[in-house]
Amino acid sequence: MPLPSTLLLLATLLPLGSFTLLLFTGKRLSYPLAGIVATAFIIASFACTIAAMIAWLNVTPASVWGAGKGPIFLSLPWLPFSLTPNHPSSLTVGIYLDSLTIALFAMVTTVAAAVHVFSIGYMRHDPRFHRYFTYLSLFCFSMLALLLSSTLIELLVFWELVGLCSYLLIGFWFEKRSAANASLKAFLTNRLGDLGFLIGISLLISHLGNTSFPHLWTSATEISPNTLTLIGILLFTGAIAKSAQFPLHTWLPDAMEAPTPISALIHAATMVAAGVYLTARLFPILTPDAKLFIAIIGLITLTIGALIATAQTDIKRILAYSTISQLGYMMLAIGVGSWVGALFHLITHAFFKSLLFLAAGSVIHAAGHEQELSHFGGLARKIPVTAATFAIALLAMSGAPFFAGYYSKELILTHAASFSLLSASQSAPRWYALFFYLPVAIAYLTPFYMTRCWMLTFHGRPRNLHLFARARETWILYVPLILLAVLSTWVGAKGIGIRELIERSITESNAYCQSLTSHPNFSAFSTAWPANLPIDQDLTPSQQLMEQGHMLTQTRVAYAWLAGILLGILLYLRGFLIPNLLLKFPPLRWLHIWLYRAMYFDELYHLFLVGPVLIASHLANFLDTHVIDPIVNLTATSIRSLANLASLNDEFVIDASATGIAHLSQNLGSLSRSPQTGRIRTYILLLFTLLTLAIASTILLLY
Amino acid sequence: MPITLHHYLVLSALLFTTGLLTILLKRNALAILMGIELLLNSVTLNLVAFNHFSPTPTEDGQIFALFIILIAAAEAAIALAIILNFYNNFSSIDPDRAQTLKG
Repeated sequence: MPLPSTLLLLATLLPLGSFTLLLFTGKRLSYPLAGIVATAFIIASFACTIAAMIAWLNVTPASVWGAGKGPIFLSLPWLPFSLTPNHPSSLTVGIYLDSLTIALFAMVTTVAAAVHVFSIGYMRHDPRFHRYFTYLSLFCFSMLALLLSSTLIELLVFWELVGLCSYLLIGFWFEKRSAANASLKAFLTNRLGDLGFLIGISLLISHLGNTSFPHLWTSATEISPNTLTLIGILLFTGAIAKSAQFPLHTWLPDAMEAPTPISALIHAATMVAAGVYLTARLFPILTPDAKLFIAIIGLITLTIGALIATAQTDIKRILAYSTISQLGYMMLAIGVGSWVGALFHLITHAFFKSLLFLAAGSVIHAAGHEQELSHFGGLARKIPVTAATFAIALLAMSGAPFFAGYYSKELILTHAASFSLLSASQSAPRWYALFFYLPVAIAYLTPFYMTRCWMLTFHGRPRNLHLFARARETWILYVPLILLAVLSTWVGAKGIGIRELIERSITESNAYCQSLTSHPNFSAFSTAWPANLPIDQDLTPSQQLMEQGHMLTQTRVAYAWLAGILLGILLYLRGFLIPNLLLKFPPLRWLHIWLYRAMYFDELYHLFLVGPVLIASHLANFLDTHVIDPIVNLTATSIRSLANLASLNDEFVIDASATGIAHLSQNLGSLSRSPQTGRIRTYILLLFTLLTLAIASTILLLY
Repeated sequence: MPITLHHYLVLSALLFTTGLLTILLKRNALAILMGIELLLNSVTLNLVAFNHFSPTPTEDGQIFALFIILIAAAEAAIALAIILNFYNNFSSIDPDRAQTLKG
């Protein structure tokens, strides 16, 4: 096995080792030890990843593993089966490793290490401290294995495992009813998406027999475009649920019941991004229609996420909705063909969003597990490091220049702009312009709601003096924050090479896409941008169009971050004072309530989905108790009566005849025994009587 | 009135009936033994009578009578021995007690 794949496999298996170790010994480890063990393993995993990265980057183009310096693709047969008798086939498992995998491994292990360290401080007083780290280790293993998977089946296995970990960790404080409900909601919502995912995989297997990524890219042309569109949308359904896209986004805000470091790792940086990763891996086989679908879903998601985030008052819910919005950006990017933009944003977002969550965790920890903004205010004086790192993440997310988010967001918006220009030049429907203008509008809104969150938490007069007096931060909480803050600033820069790694991944994977590139329906990864478009495959925007798009983005959003932040500062300078004045106007108030209740999605789902299911289950229950039970009881009763009848037959016919014969013989016996009195004189009397009779009869006969 | 064979036969029949009734009605083994003697005697009487009134001169009846007396003596000896043993076992000489072999 080539060196990088060995190292990455090791990096994957290390958290599994930690999981096994903690599973069996965790209970006996005293307070910080379980956390330290898990942290040591994940840091070792991180070291392996870095070593693999160095090995990967330093190899000269001439040396080979796989095809040239291409991706490493190892495959092992797993389950043999055959679609037709003549063509035995088998499900395979294996490793697919290219520059993208390396980049994502680096991201996951870094964020995971930071979260592990943070958790040691955050979960300090929890009675189930060791179990928390057990789950965390299992999650890290599943997530890394998911990234390493080469086939969709294998990916699905780990996809479900991360889902399981998410479920376990959302319900970690299961004594709280809301947490238990939220974990159930997350699990069930994800099952809904996985159903589509599974059907998509089954369709692919039935058509191609093998679901490894290279195989898909090589032979997707064998499937008709319409079927492929269906498959693409079905597979994307899995991503909709996992990445909290509209209309299955409602589980993510509820998932904030999890301990905050979990929200940072699982529900912001890694697991929810798995949907984006999956869609990106499937990108070459997505048809234009499927891509249009993805773009529309992403567009809706990023809009509603940002709108709802502006009205929330729970610090974690604001972050949850902003995550939904950012994931929407990534999906939109994939939909309009900005493959690099989506994955670049995935990585930068992972850093600044996990930083935001950990900072929020630090605030919540300082505030004694209070999450409502109305209790905060002025905390910057008490927890300055948290406030500063939060601000850095805020700038990164807003797209301020020289911060990570700036590069990735600009890339996505530029591509979206070129896309809408191109569609306009192809006289596509007018609403295609929304693919550019809505994300731009939301780019103004994003810094605003983040600034609102910062202002209400860290600035102004303390609104809860008791809480304010006790607030403080410890080094174990802010060291990871500083690390992530540095990365959030630095990871997007040109020289670092994250973007270059992703772009290299295109040329590497493209080796497998030869048949797609020559096919009219596909253009695979042929270029970084645009690979293929929702309008026409043959079209690629000219250099001129690209520059126009760039110019458009520059003029429209260059100062969006500043505008948003300034608006936020102005509005919330005096706490809730000015906004509350504004909310006196009925239309604004109505809008606010609508957004505060998250556009009533939960209520709608309760009315139209949960309600009918409950009614149906009650109906089924009614049927059970009033129809099926009586039938069963009737059967039982009739069988009992039959048995009684049979027992009567036994008693009065069969037994009676047997005892009858016995009685008869007994009676006959006593009858024949009665002359045998045992008295000699009776015998003698009888003897003489008979003798006399005999003589008398002889005499009578003779005469 | 000469004594004919009928007189002998009636006497014999009377003796026999008496003996039989004694056997049937008495609960005493000795009495029953006496009854049996009566039966034997009535038969002996019969034989002697028939011999006496037989048209052909013969002594068969006389000899038979001697045999019967002989057998009666032997019988009495055996019977008395049985009765003694019976008394030893049952503390009584009521033959109705001898029912232990009854089914």
